[in-house]
Amino acid sequence: MPDGPDGFSRRSFIKLAATAAAAASVPACEPASRKLIPYVIPDNDVIPGEPSFYATTCMECPAHCGIVARVREGRVIKLEGNPLDPVSRGAICARGQAALQGVYNPDRLRHPMRREADGALHEITWDEALDTFNDKLRAAAGNGAKRVAIISSDLGPALRTILIFGWASPWRLQVPSIFYEPLDEAAAYQAAFDCFGRIDLPNYRIDRAEFLISFGADFLETWRSPVELTRQYAAFRAPRVRSAAMTVGHAVYVGPRMSLTAARCDEWLAPPLGTEANLAMGILHEVAAQGWVRPESKVDVNALKTFAAAYDPGSVEKQTGVSAAIVRRLAQQFAQANGAIAMAGTDDYETHLATSILNAATGNLGRTVTFYERNTPASRSSTKGIEATLESMRKGEIDVVLVTGSNPAYMMAPALRFNEAIAKVPFVVWFGTVPDETAEHAHLLLPIHHPLESWSEAPTRAGARKLVQPVMQPVFDSRAFGDILLSSGHAGGAPANERTAATSAVLEDMWLSSYEEEVRASRPKPAGAPNAKPAPMSPVEAAEIKRNFAGFWEQARREGGTFGEPQVADVSLKPDVLKTPPKLAAPPVTELSLFCYPHIFLYDGRGADKPWLSEIPEPVTQLVWDTWAEVHPDTARRLGLAQDAIVELKTPQGAIEAPVLISDHVRRDVIAVPLGLGHTALGRYAKGRGANPFSVLEFGRRTSSVIAHPTGKSRRLVSPLSKSDQMGRAIVEAISLDDIVNGVAPKREAMPPEPYEMYDDIPYPKHQWGMTIDLNSCTGCSACVAACYAENNLPFVGKEMIDRGRIMSWIRIERYVPTSPDAPQLYIAPMLCQQCHHAPCEPVCPVFAAYHTEEGLNGQVYNRCVGTRYCENNCPYKVRRFNWFKPEWPEPLNLQLNPDITTRGAGVMEKCNFCFQRIRYAEINAADEGRPVRDGEIVPACAQACPANAITFGDINDANGAMMRRRADNRPRDYLALEDLNTRPAITYLRDIYRRRGKA
Amino acid sequence: MNRILLSLASVLLVGGLVVAAFGQRPWLARADVVQPIPFSHRVHAGDNHIPCQYCHEYARRSRTAGVPPVQRCVGCHGTSGLLSGALSPVTQPWTDKSQPPFEIRWNRVYTLPDFVRFTHKPHIHAGVACQTCHGPVETMDRIVPVHEINMGFCINCHTQRGVTKDCIVCHH
Repeated sequence: MPDGPDGFSRRSFIKLAATAAAAASVPACEPASRKLIPYVIPDNDVIPGEPSFYATTCMECPAHCGIVARVREGRVIKLEGNPLDPVSRGAICARGQAALQGVYNPDRLRHPMRREADGALHEITWDEALDTFNDKLRAAAGNGAKRVAIISSDLGPALRTILIFGWASPWRLQVPSIFYEPLDEAAAYQAAFDCFGRIDLPNYRIDRAEFLISFGADFLETWRSPVELTRQYAAFRAPRVRSAAMTVGHAVYVGPRMSLTAARCDEWLAPPLGTEANLAMGILHEVAAQGWVRPESKVDVNALKTFAAAYDPGSVEKQTGVSAAIVRRLAQQFAQANGAIAMAGTDDYETHLATSILNAATGNLGRTVTFYERNTPASRSSTKGIEATLESMRKGEIDVVLVTGSNPAYMMAPALRFNEAIAKVPFVVWFGTVPDETAEHAHLLLPIHHPLESWSEAPTRAGARKLVQPVMQPVFDSRAFGDILLSSGHAGGAPANERTAATSAVLEDMWLSSYEEEVRASRPKPAGAPNAKPAPMSPVEAAEIKRNFAGFWEQARREGGTFGEPQVADVSLKPDVLKTPPKLAAPPVTELSLFCYPHIFLYDGRGADKPWLSEIPEPVTQLVWDTWAEVHPDTARRLGLAQDAIVELKTPQGAIEAPVLISDHVRRDVIAVPLGLGHTALGRYAKGRGANPFSVLEFGRRTSSVIAHPTGKSRRLVSPLSKSDQMGRAIVEAISLDDIVNGVAPKREAMPPEPYEMYDDIPYPKHQWGMTIDLNSCTGCSACVAACYAENNLPFVGKEMIDRGRIMSWIRIERYVPTSPDAPQLYIAPMLCQQCHHAPCEPVCPVFAAYHTEEGLNGQVYNRCVGTRYCENNCPYKVRRFNWFKPEWPEPLNLQLNPDITTRGAGVMEKCNFCFQRIRYAEINAADEGRPVRDGEIVPACAQACPANAITFGDINDANGAMMRRRADNRPRDYLALEDLNTRPAITYLRDIYRRRGKA
Repeated sequence: MNRILLSLASVLLVGGLVVAAFGQRPWLARADVVQPIPFSHRVHAGDNHIPCQYCHEYARRSRTAGVPPVQRCVGCHGTSGLLSGALSPVTQPWTDKSQPPFEIRWNRVYTLPDFVRFTHKPHIHAGVACQTCHGPVETMDRIVPVHEINMGFCINCHTQRGVTKDCIVCHH
């Protein structure tokens, strides 16, 4: 040191003194809560510090999975699947998980608001709001019965009943209505009606099939009931002996873009947009021509031959570019499989028609494709009905419009001129949570309860009835939609009593009357007169039914509904449908087509206000927080577009702009754009990001001809993934079906000659926690990622921070593009901390924050961590996350945080610990009951959510546990990620199984 | 000069650290906490032998021991007429119903530091007496902490009993 003989300078002194002074002057900070406020009267259902579970139904998409809400101290902190529900079977998707961010959304409307003459919104009281509402109704009802309209999604049986009987009839209104889903499958409904005389849609049993062909139906992402279909698909893909040979189900996807579903199928065929129906007809032609029509299907073979006459494989090859040999092979595989399914998710009628006939002719109707007896169809308005209502709005024939559960200003095609129609309505009442684009047209905005705060019944299919129940007290000063209608109904003259005052009472009465009906119907009928009406009930009997109902109702509320087996209806193809062969248009002459698809998380845009859903990368493109235009490299070159360049997409309906993603996963003549963003309202997380493709589409269509211009601007598309190539390293592995059948051992890259040990092995006398992840089941749906965000208080960081590599997810979906054709279409695997036995993170930590626990986990002690990030640098799996900032959850999003774990602050490293709080919870329970932890008692959040049941957690010491059995039963598919590094992970992956492609 | 500077700096540094260490540990149990009503644990748990978990009923079932609901207080005092005069602000609303029940805002004596997850339940099931950590509560009119509940205190007991000392058990 230059300063003096003893090396202590004036500068050093000042430094030291300043440190000491700073240390002494830090004020003694008061912890947030220094008060203990007990209940005045305790709630018997609540044990402070212990979770309660309430069964309800997810209202995030029309599939309506049964869910269980985990509630701590009166607030919901996590959603999980309801194991009793045949749709969810205990699993849940990412969108379902994110319902939590819907309840706690900081942009939810907090008070009733009225738009004043100057256009500004003013806060009013509920009394004022309801008086205004009722006054307007009174005036409108005086002008005529059809002067009040409603625009909504399917309300479900309870709210529908309240709307009609509790509200509209007291006001003597007939309420022209628009019940509408933007991705409603009008073509599918039409085909089901024409082919089978049904007004509902068929249900699929993929698990009973061996062959599957999907024409644009993204059944692993958003189509119909993704959780249920993902579970079935996992069973379909499980290797087992089918038709005397070891095999996995064979799946083919037809569509212009490689969706996640396409990537998980064996084959992806991309005929020109709009010619999917030609291919389906070609298959139908072969089935008829080769005599593969099953006699039991009662389909007239000759009629079918005439029907499909124009679509011989040769012509189909010309129309679609799919070779005749492939068409013949697909037809043969479809017809000869022991159970096959053709499904259609396109927006044209003919594909739905052809697939319906194909399913019927090959005898799959009633086996893998079923309709149910007594199925209540969804309430949906026809296109004509929607147009008629909008027209009367435009003509000024409507005085009041109620809007709820629907965002037509964002989702309705411009051709319907919704904005013009709504502007003509003198009084628009909007009922909702986060004010959306439609709310901007409203004169009265009423905050209603989120489905997790309110009573209703979900629309569901035959056999089941599902309750939507409040799982907690409302967060804000909102009211239930049903309750508002009922109170307004009273103002309109409905007799007021306690049974009609609340949605819950109406709901209970509805269940009581159907219960009574069922009991009455099950009573023995007088002999010899099976059609006679059952005898009327005595008062004693009626009282007994009421008593029994109390128990039934209690059970229904506890279980979230009733889940009976639906009865399969006996349905056959209507012969008339074969009389008029479809006239399919020639392949489109347009140079370029626009193809829009529902985003796996944002769906039709309703998910955009939930930050988790924008933060989690879309699995195939791995992009976040934006709308992109997926363009083939050749097309991009032709149009002069570079990656991230903003392209203007102009259709006859309008134009949008989006940055370009250059990708091989799309046809040359197609530009693919996800739906979901481009909001001008819907809160801070949605507003002003991306583009809204609905604004350039025709009503009910998802495709259009398009002209693409470079704009010269650019915007960076952001992905947390640094490489799409595994660079020859064994991270995600796969094995071909042939190798499984022939017992060929998988080749491993670059293994060390022998595993070596430098130190004595660490013993695990009690447990060593481990995981088995079956990549053959995993679809990459990212439900696990969303579940981890919810369970472990992971902050969302936004697009800019993700671009700087600061995403906080503890589990992610790795997506690699194979470089050789002898591989699955994409390599997909969940990547999380491997809890290495020889963990590279541990020895490099200078403060022992990263250490090895007694039960084999790589522990991370947050209060020891000083943030050197050595561990992150040394982790070969890149699963450690550093808090660059103090994470923020704007109020009341913070209410969702899990109180069982630490919320980490800035400067701290964090990572997956197999949901240690759940391990501890089970261990404590087991110890208190004096027993060992049972196998399957501990389920980490990711394993719990997985619809495909790809993740099994358990004890490596327990060879008979489900987790270790899954490893043993699936040799030689098991491998360790980056095994050559000798980290000895506690996670064993099971290789994905793929079919070698390229054979006709 | 440098020697003086060095010693002065050392004194300041050590002094600062001492103040920092002893003066500002807000997570420590506090000896100076006065409650809003003069509740005596000596009378309840000592003289009248009311078991701890009669009032702190969640200790064996949950991570928190729980503070008794006001209803529990009134359960005895409302019917037995014990101290009905002094307790009338608490009990009266329950009898005349003209005013909402009284909410008692107790002041916290024991607080855990951040980054620690403590669960009462397994300790109760393992037969650890409440007094082990909370001291002879049954002799105290006003609760004052007897032990400083810090990591050393926990680890000592865990060592003696031969139970887990894995960091992650508390720090997760």
